[in-house]
Amino acid sequence: MYSIEAKNIGKSYGAVKALDNVSLQVRKGEIYGLIGPDGAGKTTLFRILTTLMLPDSGNAEVEGFDIIRDYKAIRKISGYMPGHFSLYEDLSVEENLDFFATIFGTSVAANYETIREIYSQLEPFRKRKTGKLSGGMKQKLALCCALVHKPSVLFLDEPTTGVDAISRKEFWNILERIKAGGVTVLVSTPYMDEASLCDRISLIQQGQIIDSGTVDSIVEKYPYLLLSVSGDHIYPVLKILRQVKGVVSCFAFGTEHHVAIDRALITAEDIRHILTENAYADCVVKEIRPGIEDCFMQLAAKK
Amino acid sequence: MWTYLLEKEFKQFFRDPGLPKMLITFPLMMMLIFPFAVSMEIKNINLVVVDNNQTVTSGRLIDKCVKSGYFRLVEKSPTPERAQYLMDLNEADAILTIFSDFEKQFEAGNELPVSIKVNTINGSKGNIGAGYLSNCIRNFVKEESAGEMASAGSNIDVSTKFYYNKYMDYKVFMVPALIAIAITMITGFFPALNIVNEKETGTIEQINVTPISKSVFILCKLIPYWAVSFFVLSSCLIIAWIVFGYTCAGSILTLFIFTALHIMVTAGLGLLISNYSDNAQQAMFITWFFMMVFMLISGIFTPISSMPLWTQTITYLNPLRYYADAMRFIYLKGSTFADIWYDALGLFVIGSVMMGWTILSYKKSK
Repeated sequence: MYSIEAKNIGKSYGAVKALDNVSLQVRKGEIYGLIGPDGAGKTTLFRILTTLMLPDSGNAEVEGFDIIRDYKAIRKISGYMPGHFSLYEDLSVEENLDFFATIFGTSVAANYETIREIYSQLEPFRKRKTGKLSGGMKQKLALCCALVHKPSVLFLDEPTTGVDAISRKEFWNILERIKAGGVTVLVSTPYMDEASLCDRISLIQQGQIIDSGTVDSIVEKYPYLLLSVSGDHIYPVLKILRQVKGVVSCFAFGTEHHVAIDRALITAEDIRHILTENAYADCVVKEIRPGIEDCFMQLAAKK
Repeated sequence: MWTYLLEKEFKQFFRDPGLPKMLITFPLMMMLIFPFAVSMEIKNINLVVVDNNQTVTSGRLIDKCVKSGYFRLVEKSPTPERAQYLMDLNEADAILTIFSDFEKQFEAGNELPVSIKVNTINGSKGNIGAGYLSNCIRNFVKEESAGEMASAGSNIDVSTKFYYNKYMDYKVFMVPALIAIAITMITGFFPALNIVNEKETGTIEQINVTPISKSVFILCKLIPYWAVSFFVLSSCLIIAWIVFGYTCAGSILTLFIFTALHIMVTAGLGLLISNYSDNAQQAMFITWFFMMVFMLISGIFTPISSMPLWTQTITYLNPLRYYADAMRFIYLKGSTFADIWYDALGLFVIGSVMMGWTILSYKKSK
């Protein structure tokens, strides 16, 4: 049995298809990542799963409860942290937490163990107005408020967007520990590097899931040979390579290029040869293992 | 849970940098400043006299007008041109011209050769000015000829008595109406803005995923403003009593019942507006529009009976019309619930429609 199961969900805003036939299966107690660029439909899917919005087609269940029929039950057992900060800025840290505990029919004291670890960092500021907290602190408080009623499913919509690298890392550590407590976590992020921190992921692009599975399984399916090309005159190289037959794609990737080539047509040696012919002998060509971002580019291009 | 939601609303209310101050200044302004400011009594009409007769009789007429208290004599102009010039400068509101055969005609008992010219840039001032002036002349004729007429014995003395507002004090007339405006603004504006604000900051998202029902949440938002409006009502009544010595002629309880009824209507309107607007600016603008319309065709400033028929028909849709009417009847006349049941009915019908619409539009947005 799955903790979250969505079947063929569709949702349009006028002529724009925000979600197109989206299906998703999240196992109990795993961290499941929904990875895709801005505007891919992540937030819409979250809003549907958290019963804030009705889908146009398809259906979904959260912990066995139907999102339309049993929406009340879902609201009791799930925690939701929206993409933008949405606690009361004119209430203090403590008051916000008390407020959300109370409207879920519980108290902070009763569930203190669940949030102790995160809340201990906020406790020195508990009298401070929420609006005056730093970004990282706000994020932690929002997580506390989403956890204060001991939900069995946690929906986190882009929790690390706009948060600095250290806080992001810390945040993922916290998620690991939440997962250890048996909570299912569905998290969305536009950062591809966070994919490896999830147990399983779905890649989403323009309202469609383009692939799902563990990071390794997605990487394994990568059909091409991936080369990294680095050198001094990197920009003209990009232009040359894109015209070579057998090169499927070539993207700038930081200071180097990631070149996908069709094994049947061309080899890494051929690429080296072409570059030398064009007087770019200083370029270093290496075979590399594709990352999730390469997979995403390949899958998105295929669509 | 209820108490906590209410606690939160009150906390937020009192933490707001402006709202608690408004709570104090609003009734004070409404009761101490506006009754004077919105007065429709016309005083200090600038009068220019062109006296072509220059006799004792014409002098007495001018004296009579000035002593009436409504006019301020700007000058006695030597020529009509000079008087017209003053009016063009906007220094004269009315010109009284006395023709050269004034005394002769007066003594002969004929029609008086005088003319009145008024400046109607300010319509009501001009109109009322002309009225006062002809009144003065009429009184003058009556008094001057009293001696001769008395013997004739056919003199009819008409005296006016003002009911429910003995001294025709404009302020006491405005007090209940100003309270009505204050209550309408507080209960119509603030809840709408408050809910839209939660929409804007996204906090409503967070609330919507909790098991708390939308109706409970919204009710808890309205209650503080109801408390506030009853506070404002009470303080306005107290201020009016302490400062002007005005008291409510009817039962205070009826006053409160009508206020409660009216609040249902404005709350419904506020919620409806918050439902259809996505940000505070929109909400503000729409509420402002409604408030303006409500006030102008409520009968508070200008009597409904003097409006054209089609406007009169529109006023039946205006909740403020019923509320302001009820407030005046209770406060000034001491009417009971049975006397003004039609006002209650009007409020009730509009309120039910408003609430029904609100609930329907909420269901649709879910």
